[in-house]
Amino acid sequence: MSELTYKPQYYPGSSIVAKNRRKYLDPNYQLRKLRSISDEDIVRLLGHRAPGEAYKTVHPPLEEMGEPDCPIRKLVEPTPGAKAGDRIRYIQFTDSVYFAPLAPIIRCWVYHTRWRGVDPGSLSGRCPLEARERDVELISRELLETELFDPARVGVRGATVHGHSLRLDENGLMFDMQRRYKYDPSKGEVVYVKDQSGKPLDKPVYVGKPLPEEELKKMTTQFRVDYISLRDDAEVMEFVQRLHWLRTLAGADPNLAKNV
Amino acid sequence: MPKFPDKVDLYDDRGALIDTKVPIEALSPLYNSAIKRIVSIVKRAVAVDLKGVERALATGAVGGRGCIIKGRELKLNVVANAAAIADKIEKLIRVKPGDDTQVKILRNGENLLVMAPSARLEAGVEYTTALTAVASALCCALIETFNISMWDYDMVHAAVWGRYPQSVDTMGANVSMLLAVPQQNEGMGYALRNIPAAHIATITRKNAMNAAALSAILEQTAMYEMGDAIGPFERYQLLGLAYQGLNANNLVYDLVRENGKSGTLGDVVASTVKRAASDGVIKPLKKLPSGYVLYASDDIPLWNAYAAAGLLAGTMVTCGAARAMQHITSVLVYYNDLIERETGLPGVDFGRAEGTGIEMSFFSHSIYGGGNPCVFHGNHIVTRHSKGFVIPCVSAAVALDAGTVYYAPERISGVVGEVLGEIPELRQPLRYVNEAASKIKGEV
Repeated sequence: MSELTYKPQYYPGSSIVAKNRRKYLDPNYQLRKLRSISDEDIVRLLGHRAPGEAYKTVHPPLEEMGEPDCPIRKLVEPTPGAKAGDRIRYIQFTDSVYFAPLAPIIRCWVYHTRWRGVDPGSLSGRCPLEARERDVELISRELLETELFDPARVGVRGATVHGHSLRLDENGLMFDMQRRYKYDPSKGEVVYVKDQSGKPLDKPVYVGKPLPEEELKKMTTQFRVDYISLRDDAEVMEFVQRLHWLRTLAGADPNLAKNV
Repeated sequence: MPKFPDKVDLYDDRGALIDTKVPIEALSPLYNSAIKRIVSIVKRAVAVDLKGVERALATGAVGGRGCIIKGRELKLNVVANAAAIADKIEKLIRVKPGDDTQVKILRNGENLLVMAPSARLEAGVEYTTALTAVASALCCALIETFNISMWDYDMVHAAVWGRYPQSVDTMGANVSMLLAVPQQNEGMGYALRNIPAAHIATITRKNAMNAAALSAILEQTAMYEMGDAIGPFERYQLLGLAYQGLNANNLVYDLVRENGKSGTLGDVVASTVKRAASDGVIKPLKKLPSGYVLYASDDIPLWNAYAAAGLLAGTMVTCGAARAMQHITSVLVYYNDLIERETGLPGVDFGRAEGTGIEMSFFSHSIYGGGNPCVFHGNHIVTRHSKGFVIPCVSAAVALDAGTVYYAPERISGVVGEVLGEIPELRQPLRYVNEAASKIKGEV
């Protein structure tokens, strides 16, 4: 295949779930903006600093401290947070198994295709994203304002993350033992009354209206046995089984996986 | 006549061409004189902390943390007498005039770099010879220089050897070598893998390309000792060393250059696959109904080498952008996820690099404890699984950190990293190994 004809393809599969995975992974796909949250509210929700407070640093700005003689440092542009010497801080999400747009592992893939200098990790019920503080704030804006977030099925939770696999409440909200957020019937929106680590906020942060389940089903990247099962997508199944088999073959003898 | 058909162009850490069409055997630890010299140095080099000895004796704090023997203090001007001590050590360990014994005084006598003569190692079977010979020689030199009473010999021993032999290793010692004691190796052939990334980054003065190269040389040389570079796996490991560790065909450098300014890890994956496709390493196998193309390769070891080079480039782009080492585990896991999903081909080391990343992420980020990437190495219980393809990335990540961790590489590595960084072959391995390969390219 010539260099010119190669185009990133991100993910196999013909189901809507696979297509959604492919779509979110593609950085050229413009994520739909569904709500607006002010800079100040994002800072308050994260809870790492007070709005307007200077960023705390873990080392001096790179320009001041100077860097070792390393050609890679000359090639790789530091992020704004790294340049300034910001602390490493985080935002962490819990994604309900009930058709949240993302799931922890998909989040990590999406983060790594869309943003630089990120350190996400996936666990069964949560997905932390660590990066330099001002980088976290910039990325958080996109994560909270776009279709990657649903106020009812996604929770911003620094700690006590439990709830991703529990039943939804009467308003369709994911369980949160810390009750960081609640449904405001007067506005029809979800409102955070505590920051991500459970510290009460002096002013609530509104994060928008929950999407209807039918809409979420069109947006989700989660396979479910009671919706679209992994086994329903023959292409994804073929892909997964192929990878498993190739890893095994090549581990036994790389030549066994030749042209397979 | 080379055993393998592969020939590569060799470049230095700044992307400058050193030589073209070099057979990969010229990079093998079995042939390459610079790799042999690096291995020899690792076995023979001992760092002596004379300032540490002086402090230990002056305070009675010997044998590691929490051990202070009051009333047994000895006030000796050890650092001020560094030249005399160095002279005595040299005489004690030299086997015959003109052999390869070397003693170098560093930092105005605070440290010594001692190279034990090869003849001593050849006369034994264990690589600890240099450490034991130098430690004993230092004890003798101190006793003689300061005319120490027989009743204080035990304190001298403890100030030099630390708690050994009550401890398995030389806990709290003021002589050290890069390698851990054999009892701390996870299995046969692991010795060269038992060197924390902090040492590698410090020795190479935080030059990420050289840090990765030194790690790759040590890891892949260990593969020969472990029995992992035999039969179908010899070429596999050698290609990995060439492309990932030694910047063959300038692949790593090119990928970083292409994505350094604005690229993400995902962009590095795409660049790697694009390069593999355009070089004919992978080709489309079939198109699935969605339009997704599965790729296949008629040379899986070469595909792995490309993927491994991409993994290192992805590390450099991600940890480099954040100037932070902790991102390495995320890179190890998700680079492999992404490249597998991009191609339908197995990721680096056929899943072992990704698996290692998952385990390492728990032990470097999580409630399970562990430590920052500085403390990890190829013999570590959570990072030993990949056959030499992970630790070069960890070392590069540590090298690129601007100071985000409490236990910084210099703090963990201490005297040994500083002192051994004085040896050019260890500090700039990429240049020395590639130049040595260039010299023998017609002979292998």
